[in-house]
Amino acid sequence: MTRAPETLAVIDAGGATTSVSLLVRIAGHWRLMGSLAGPTGTPESALLAVLVGRLRDADPELGKHPELRDTALDGMPRLAARSQPPETLAVIGATRRTVDELSIHAHRTGWRVVTASTETHDPREMTELVLRRDVSAVLIGVSDPPGADERAALDDLAALAGAAARRRPELRLLLSGALRARRSWLDALGDDPPGDPARITAAPIIAGRRGTGDDLRVALDRLIDAPDDGRRGLRATAESLAELLDLRTEVLDVGFHGGARFLAEPGVGGAGPTSSGVISTDGGLAPVEPDDEIVDSVLAWSTGSLDRHRMSDRLRELRRRPWIDGTGEGARLRLAAASAALARMASLTPEVDALASPDLTVVCGGAFATAPPQAVALAVADTIRRVGTTQLVRDHARLLGPIGTIEDPAERRLLLADLARDGLVPLGTLVIAGGAGAKPATGGRAKTPYAHLSLESVGATVERDLNAGEVAFLDLPPGVAGEARLEFGRTIRFGRRTRRVAVSATGGLAGLVIDLRDVPLHLPERRDRRRTRLADWSTQAWPRDER
Amino acid sequence: MTTDTLPPGFELVRPRQVTVRGLEAWFSMQPGEQALVSPGEAVVRGAPLAERRRDLRTEVASGPGGSETQPGTWWAGRPARRGAIGRIGQGELLFRSGGRWRVATGELGDPLTAPFSGMIGTVAPGAGLSLRMEAQALVGADALGGPTVGKIHVLAARDGHVRTSEIDVGGAGAILVVGATIDAEAITRARAVGVRGMIVAGLGAKERREVIASERRARSGVHDLPPFAILVLEGALGRPIATPVMAVLTALEGQMAAIIPEPACLIFDDDRIAAPAQPRGLVRVTAGPLAGLEGQWAGLAGLYRFAGGVVLEAGLIRLGGRQPLPVPLGDLERFA
Repeated sequence: MTRAPETLAVIDAGGATTSVSLLVRIAGHWRLMGSLAGPTGTPESALLAVLVGRLRDADPELGKHPELRDTALDGMPRLAARSQPPETLAVIGATRRTVDELSIHAHRTGWRVVTASTETHDPREMTELVLRRDVSAVLIGVSDPPGADERAALDDLAALAGAAARRRPELRLLLSGALRARRSWLDALGDDPPGDPARITAAPIIAGRRGTGDDLRVALDRLIDAPDDGRRGLRATAESLAELLDLRTEVLDVGFHGGARFLAEPGVGGAGPTSSGVISTDGGLAPVEPDDEIVDSVLAWSTGSLDRHRMSDRLRELRRRPWIDGTGEGARLRLAAASAALARMASLTPEVDALASPDLTVVCGGAFATAPPQAVALAVADTIRRVGTTQLVRDHARLLGPIGTIEDPAERRLLLADLARDGLVPLGTLVIAGGAGAKPATGGRAKTPYAHLSLESVGATVERDLNAGEVAFLDLPPGVAGEARLEFGRTIRFGRRTRRVAVSATGGLAGLVIDLRDVPLHLPERRDRRRTRLADWSTQAWPRDER
Repeated sequence: MTTDTLPPGFELVRPRQVTVRGLEAWFSMQPGEQALVSPGEAVVRGAPLAERRRDLRTEVASGPGGSETQPGTWWAGRPARRGAIGRIGQGELLFRSGGRWRVATGELGDPLTAPFSGMIGTVAPGAGLSLRMEAQALVGADALGGPTVGKIHVLAARDGHVRTSEIDVGGAGAILVVGATIDAEAITRARAVGVRGMIVAGLGAKERREVIASERRARSGVHDLPPFAILVLEGALGRPIATPVMAVLTALEGQMAAIIPEPACLIFDDDRIAAPAQPRGLVRVTAGPLAGLEGQWAGLAGLYRFAGGVVLEAGLIRLGGRQPLPVPLGDLERFA
């Protein structure tokens, strides 16, 4: 009989860093003993050896375990998620309108998307696009039925698709039914098309009067072959967590190759958990080529005084070596980039925004791994604007991605049940009230307070007046629960219209965060004013601010 | 001192490869440009690999008939459009639609030549070709323009900055090593006086945009300018060139070398030149207030609180004879 392993190395090999966590089974339960991350390329065995060395120093008795001997480390069972660089999808259509419709859905997948249409590109340029080495799949679509503005280009598109299929036998091709029926497609492809015929599939209908785009998204996601990708596993983990904790759980992830946002709900009446949300390369920390839009979006969350060129330089550095410069100004810039990425994810997932605030929000990904807890809480409050209360936790050891790669839901749930306490560090409770209005134009405190807060915990009560547009951080340590009562001077939105709110709060490293800013957040257009406003809020979030 | 006697944790520092050998270079082509070589063919330095073309465009042609003709093949014939009567055109067949071929064509430009001898790997018409080379390569972070060939000339120290006035016609035909940073004006002047390339530690977004725009203008001109490339060794921010990298560049002074864009590197074929053996435990700081400094590994510092309240895994490094300083592990590199 084989003895069950008593140790497990959990590896999350991301695009920027590799994290190794050491689990040991104690009294029948898995416990997290430590985790360590290094830049991509750092040998996993070296990270594991350092972790085990630290465990031996901290607990010599446990360190004598046979599976923790130096000679046994190479044989330690491993649960690994390995992130792959996203592949590129070319989206081509007859008109800009169709391409826009298609690419909206393509951006909500794990593909990096490039686009072209017959209105903007000539046949040579479109051919150049489909022949590009980094393009591994092409989606050519038209409305169904084709619009009047598309009909003239149908033959060209069908012939382009046929030529691409002939010239690149490895290329995956999704083609609208209207194009597959064209004679130019059949002529171009010939009687004996090269490559695997299964690589050419019908693109689900999305345009016109039929189709929502979900089928297209599923079809595009199916083309990605990455069974051990941690980000793809987050949906399964979110569902398992929701089921395990019986809490509506949202997972927010910003990483090097992309981001993810999933909201999972426990099943009702014996049904399994459900979830909504997407993975997108747009949610990555620093896109491959930071264009002006990306640079501006990061500048919009930055409290530094970089101009566009310098910010572009910093983003290029962040892309090239995302593990460097994680302190001081570099840490602030990284979080500004993460906020911009979260904002992009929020704009890609309006259906998740429309749902009620989750009970639990899990922050994942290397982008948040090293930032101070209050700064992470503020970044979430800045970008995921939803009235209500949520408990914030951070997947500090990056366990959730690898756990999501476990196919068996029961096994996944068992491991999560053991590790939820160790693996999810409580950041605190975030309370967002809507309809509170903007901060007073003078920038100072209003003459009459907008709200009164009373926080009761461990027998003590903290009272505080709050202004409209204010973010307040109140100490509420991890493991401590409290009840916060807010009385407003006028009616606000908090799931309903009310003047009084009472919420249960659980403590964390960031404490209780009360956010009385606009929902959605309105920031000044002028850069200097916007920066001043952001700096006001971030002063509370960044400890010992040297700036 | 051997590796074994180094303080522990050195293997957690990210290794950096200074030179590699036997790489496969990729030269991008566009539809309408014609490869002149075939897979498996051996080529020598300077051999034409492909015909480059300017003003690339699409022509409509009756083209060849029959089902034997495939997209991607080269064709010469009469374009179908009205203004082209009597003119013989040639180009790459893209696809056939409505009974006529779309053909990619353009004006003949300077050919793409092999920067070093090697063996042709793949040839993908309209996309590019690969060349396997046995020469050594100094690995860079990024390259703009190219490929280009020239004699290496070290113009500035590893932490230097070259001003426009320092670039003159003496640099024509050379690849200049210009230190930590360079400004856009100096690059423009270098291009004008016939410099073939530059090697710099950091190149900012502003300079990058200007170089790309200048290259685009040069390519679209009637008379081709000689090829030009910039090899960026570190990234967008200016830092001194790493000592082992500078040692290779100094040893290459006066020798022929080539900058290629994919992968971004400097190719040279003098087997006697190699990255010099580094002192054991040499580490370089890549970011933060100590960026560019090099020191000796002094062990792991564990979790350390840095500026901004950020807690990171740190290593200790000894700079000169001073006390070891904690530096985030991610901000360090060692030389493999």
